[in-house]
Amino acid sequence: MASLKEILTRRPVAATVRLTIPAGGAKPGPPVGPAVGQYKVNLMAFCKDFNARTQKYKPDAPISATVTVFKDNTFELNVRSPSVTWYLKKAAGIESGSGRAGHAVASTLTLKHVYEIAKVKQADPYCQYMSLEAISKSIIGTAKSMGIKVEKDLD
Amino acid sequence: MSLLLSSLRTHFIKHLSCTSFSSLHTTLNLTPGSVFKLLGSTRNYPSRNSTHFFNSSPVTASFSTSSSPVSETPTTGSYLSVDIQSRQDVADMLSEALLCFGAVSTSVFEPDICNSKNEISIVSIFAVSQDVHQSIALAADSIGLKETPVYKVTTGYQSDWIENARESFNPVEVREGLWIVPEWITPPYSGIQQDIQATIISLNPGLAFGTGDHPTTKLCLLLLDGLIKGGESVLDYGTGSGILAIAALKFGAASAVGFDIDPQAITAARHNAGLNNIGPDKLELQVVPSNISRMSTDQWQWAMKSDGVTDHDVEIVTEKEKYDVVVANILLNPLLDLADHIVSYAKPGGVVGLSGIILEQVPTVVDRYSDLLEGVTVSQSDDWACIHGTKRKTG
Repeated sequence: MASLKEILTRRPVAATVRLTIPAGGAKPGPPVGPAVGQYKVNLMAFCKDFNARTQKYKPDAPISATVTVFKDNTFELNVRSPSVTWYLKKAAGIESGSGRAGHAVASTLTLKHVYEIAKVKQADPYCQYMSLEAISKSIIGTAKSMGIKVEKDLD
Repeated sequence: MSLLLSSLRTHFIKHLSCTSFSSLHTTLNLTPGSVFKLLGSTRNYPSRNSTHFFNSSPVTASFSTSSSPVSETPTTGSYLSVDIQSRQDVADMLSEALLCFGAVSTSVFEPDICNSKNEISIVSIFAVSQDVHQSIALAADSIGLKETPVYKVTTGYQSDWIENARESFNPVEVREGLWIVPEWITPPYSGIQQDIQATIISLNPGLAFGTGDHPTTKLCLLLLDGLIKGGESVLDYGTGSGILAIAALKFGAASAVGFDIDPQAITAARHNAGLNNIGPDKLELQVVPSNISRMSTDQWQWAMKSDGVTDHDVEIVTEKEKYDVVVANILLNPLLDLADHIVSYAKPGGVVGLSGIILEQVPTVVDRYSDLLEGVTVSQSDDWACIHGTKRKTG
């Protein structure tokens, strides 16, 4: 929750833009260009900012970013780590989740994979207060909805 | 509190979209009477044929892949811009759902306090090949809206937003007496003190990086200003619009060379050199392969020659230990990968400057370069930093 000082100095917001861009891959073309460019934001500054902040992720991981554009044409960038579904797909080595979740199993993962993903997710701003156990449970839930089975150990 | 809700929401949407999806599947097998319930939600789209809902089997295939919405947009640079009207309270959820179902991006305009209509518009960008109607219908369905919102589709072109981006480029004063001015603003410059001593650099960045506005550019310009006394040779690795190389020449360097992996950047840099009356003898620009450090010298020499690069130009890229000052304003990962490569271009005792890094990335870069450079100093501005040091004299 924002502090009192932040609320008092908050600049008027013009719009909130949500984007998904591959890590380190922001260029001044679509999708960034049309979405952000129309607010007269310095495109290049935005791309550089985004790329610098996403250097620590694997290149081309889709990162969902929220840009808050203020009325004075400055912007604030909020970057979240790649989606859990992306991590699961990479860990399981599959292209897409199962079409019939709950019935057809697309792939299997172990608890170790889930733990690793949970560790990365804990760095996310809205997961910080959750225990690793809670994050892991929600990852297992997402995996189930994609048709990925989670075993204790692979034999 | 809202953070918790939003995290729950994303899982919620994913689960819900699965269930609503399977319900679509089952109701189609029932009598036409129940199918009409689905069709009822299309009443806001007079243009759309109701038969579209029968084509839900392709939706099966496309649903599972739509969670990775990074789509190939055609090189013509056109896109679909969709203006959706929605109630204020569901706008947030709807925009997140749209992203899950194939929108490339969504923008939500802040509601005016005096707007009593309770409706705000969401502008969403789709790739030209996307089925807009289906995506919106699925998105609205997944968050539980009873009817699909009204929307309007327009096709946008690349030129639109390039124009907008140009508007954000104003003359920048880097320090007293040094101005960077866009090409399209002609003298007499309004607002700039008519200081005869002022060094004015004219720029048109095009699609390349470097308008003088960004903190990293400013840091590098100030660094060059302090370093260049006259007659040095400078290398700008990752030159973008060529701003650092051109500035170095204006400060008094004897010659400058600029490398970039993006051909568009080199084109922009050439254009800017012309704008500032700098001929190719003073400023040489060359496109270099992006994975140059992993290839052996022979390999990328051969690659460049087979691309049609002249022998003379390939030589420029091969000559090492030639430059008094090397500056590289790129990003953390390339800086780490290309560390040896970049430093090898500097003369022993020459200065190497690195930027394009945020404060938290500074220790990693300093570590990587500490055995190549000595006297490493860090300067910072806002959230960005610039590192410079002198190359160790070997032996």
